[in-house]
Amino acid sequence: MRGSRLTSRLMATTLPVAFLVGSVTGTAIAEPMQARNMTTFGMPGGIDTPTAEALPDGTLGATLSYSEYARRHNVVFQAMPRLTAVLRYSRVEGIEDRRNNNDHLWDRSFDLRIQLLDEAGWRPAVAVGLQDFVGTGIYSGEYIVATKNITPTVRASAGIGWGRIAGETRWPLERGDQGGKPNVDDWFTGSAKPFGSITWQVNDRLSLAAEYSSDNYKNEVEGVGGDEPGNLNLAAYYRFGQGYEVGLYTLGGETFGAQFSFSLNPRKAPYPSGLEKAPAPVRPRPAPAADPEGWSGQWAQDPTAQPAIQQALSDALAKEGQLLESMALSGNRAEVRIRNQRYIQQAEAVGRTARLMTRALPPSVETLVITSSADGIPTSSVTLRRSDVERLENTEASKVASAAALTDARPYPGDLVTTDGMFPRFRWHIGPYLDLGLFDPGEPLRYEVGAEARATYEIMPGLILAGTLRQRAFGSMDQRGPSKGRDPDNPNKPREHYPPEEYEARPELETLNGVPRVRSDTRMYRSDGPTIPELTVAWYARPTDTVYTRVTAGLLERAYGGVSAEALWKPVNSPLAFGAEINRVRKRDFDDVFGFRDYEVTTGHVSAYYEFAQGYTAQLDVGQYLAGDRGATITLTREFANGWRIGAFATKTDLSEDEFGEGSFDKGISISIPISWATGQPSRQRASSTLRALSRDGGSRVNVNGRLYDKVRDSHSVKLYEGWGRFWR
Amino acid sequence: MSSKASIQKAVLACAALAVLASCGNESSDQGDSPFVIAAKTASGAIASRRASADNAPAKPPKTPAEMAAEALRVNPNPLIMAGFESLGRSQVMAMTDRNGGMRTYMTPSEEALIMRDGMLVGTRGLGNDLSVAEPATAALIRAGRSGSAPRVMRYFSGDGLERPLSFDCDVGPGPKAGVIVENCRGHGVSFQNSFMVQGGQIPVSRQWIGPSLGYVTIQTLRP
Repeated sequence: MRGSRLTSRLMATTLPVAFLVGSVTGTAIAEPMQARNMTTFGMPGGIDTPTAEALPDGTLGATLSYSEYARRHNVVFQAMPRLTAVLRYSRVEGIEDRRNNNDHLWDRSFDLRIQLLDEAGWRPAVAVGLQDFVGTGIYSGEYIVATKNITPTVRASAGIGWGRIAGETRWPLERGDQGGKPNVDDWFTGSAKPFGSITWQVNDRLSLAAEYSSDNYKNEVEGVGGDEPGNLNLAAYYRFGQGYEVGLYTLGGETFGAQFSFSLNPRKAPYPSGLEKAPAPVRPRPAPAADPEGWSGQWAQDPTAQPAIQQALSDALAKEGQLLESMALSGNRAEVRIRNQRYIQQAEAVGRTARLMTRALPPSVETLVITSSADGIPTSSVTLRRSDVERLENTEASKVASAAALTDARPYPGDLVTTDGMFPRFRWHIGPYLDLGLFDPGEPLRYEVGAEARATYEIMPGLILAGTLRQRAFGSMDQRGPSKGRDPDNPNKPREHYPPEEYEARPELETLNGVPRVRSDTRMYRSDGPTIPELTVAWYARPTDTVYTRVTAGLLERAYGGVSAEALWKPVNSPLAFGAEINRVRKRDFDDVFGFRDYEVTTGHVSAYYEFAQGYTAQLDVGQYLAGDRGATITLTREFANGWRIGAFATKTDLSEDEFGEGSFDKGISISIPISWATGQPSRQRASSTLRALSRDGGSRVNVNGRLYDKVRDSHSVKLYEGWGRFWR
Repeated sequence: MSSKASIQKAVLACAALAVLASCGNESSDQGDSPFVIAAKTASGAIASRRASADNAPAKPPKTPAEMAAEALRVNPNPLIMAGFESLGRSQVMAMTDRNGGMRTYMTPSEEALIMRDGMLVGTRGLGNDLSVAEPATAALIRAGRSGSAPRVMRYFSGDGLERPLSFDCDVGPGPKAGVIVENCRGHGVSFQNSFMVQGGQIPVSRQWIGPSLGYVTIQTLRP
């Protein structure tokens, strides 16, 4: 049973060698038609118009396009082989933004495209798409498009569009509409108009495109002035390096623009196997006749044996980035608890530990138990027979997977002996930090730079004191009150912010439309003095085989302090998990690092987690949020075996759209790329970012560190077996 | 309390440097910000480039013959000389352990070749490694017989999975006496491995590692 699950996970489809070489002859069968160049809207396509093309599965890319009418920053993700998604942040010229007193509009929008049919024989590839379908509507439109290869280098597309693609605008929204939700009523309404494009791949680097577009930039032209661009657009694209592309285009010969794109594909790592040092090989045991004492197990009676062996193994593991927390040793069985600090795949840590055990343990030890520890809590045990490790060294990884047993770790220490000098454990770090703030309409990119000191003190496994101290040096994120909002008597007046002094002096400002300001006054926490973003004591435990708990108390995050408690049920071989969390928190003072304000709230969630096949995971949280609002968050994430993680989330609570404000409900995407993927050097470090549509007060949670699910999952069946190919690595 | 004093001293020294660099006793996986990592990676790359530029003229590389002579003098273990054609370098590798017919040879910088009775079955630490090879042609080659057999080679793909590539191979005598060649095709590529077979041993061979690393020439210095 487990065998077949393993087989499906490990024996992935045989790849054409071209994939490994990284050649561009993307003619893989049963894949959607692959893109040649990117549109100004960041989708595969012609110039402005879409096509039925897709990117290679999993591609993450960005396109920056600039013309007289707009500057568009597009991030594209091929979420599934047939589903392309784009998140766009645009500066739309010629449209007055009265709220912010700008002659241009900063606008977020989101697109989806689904490839319905592949090209086959005479049939073209067909796709349907929604453009800007949850935004303010400035680019809102829909299309159906077909694309066909005419010759190996020439490709033609034709389609029908609605809304913006047909030159009709759905902007501005009706008064009172906060935007940010699917505008289903508008989809495929209004008059439909045709569009089409032809692209010619001149050579490996250069391609040319011509298109007929019905979008005439009516709003933009009214504001900017000049003539409407014609319907015929032309472009030239030049590709270079690893996934870079520059383009020059003209919209109807009236306006010229330029764009730059790049793409990353998680499957195309610079060093697919990593550059980590080779592991120490298995050391087979000598024949029983050659070491009768070692084989007899008599050595186990010697009280000096275990300390000496444990020290030697601990030193060897330390060179592999593994902490040997504790060890149990008897005549025929050895158990080690390791904390993996180096490899993104737990299987690689387990595989290297198994080999080092064959080199360190006397020959009578036949059962090897490797227990993974997540910051002190044991999360899973891999049990191997030493003779299997010897027999299967450097063979296909699934063989040793079938020979290994994965079980819940024993929650109690039993006969495990803590390694000398392991606890208490003090770690510290001083370095610079950089904070970025995106999407502020007044200044889309804000930053803060300063110095940060961080220390953790682990009194015993699972009991950890942690603190961070920050001192800002410079930056453009000054302390500022929240926005004053629109003046009801004069809606066209530009939006202003409360000065910090006024905001602090008038407690009634801390609620808006009856909703307490729990996140929208975050900028009040940007003070010039030293700040303490975190100062906590956390206790992790495992009361039963399948239940994990966490209690964290102290200054949990910059804006809240209090107590947070969590429990998680997650059997090691189950793709399903349940969790519950309850927090009693109080809002921290804006300036006084240890002070609190009056707002106090209890938040809590029950959560369900599920790991689907192929690296898709889902999480549902239901409960009460920071502003006292109740609702649910759904999160969908795609993970790759190399550690790439890309997800999207949405939260809807019982706040009405008006109470929530612009955007109607909270939503965003998160991206996390392991550093080892880019550098080849083994490391568990990641570059991560969460982009929210807007920071509002509804649907907000406390940002407490060390939530359990991600902590325990690395060594559980789905992720462990996904990375099992690295066991003999 | 001297450790506390030394920590204090280190903290003070660090605080002065904090704007430019970072320090501490945390292991690297505890997490710098991505920007710091990016800066480190970039400065590391520049430094290594500079280092190699500095070193190049100062220290002429030893010839393979010199390296072999020196290794034979100082290292009592079995030794091979491996010439990586795509990397443009030759290295002496010493056996670190053997497990049945399988031998692991390593360089001092801990890159490894894994050999099974003279057939290359794996590499480690080179960045585009051969995870494991299953050459069903091995018996034919060692016996010096002609015939056909499959060969499966497993690699890590960029998405982190181990994936097999299978090839169809023909084994037969090469143009030179005493040399057996193995011609393999599959997945749109072909490659040719050559083996000098003497009494069931393979003292010299040229074998294909994979699409990125190409060929390696392996010569036994001390069996």
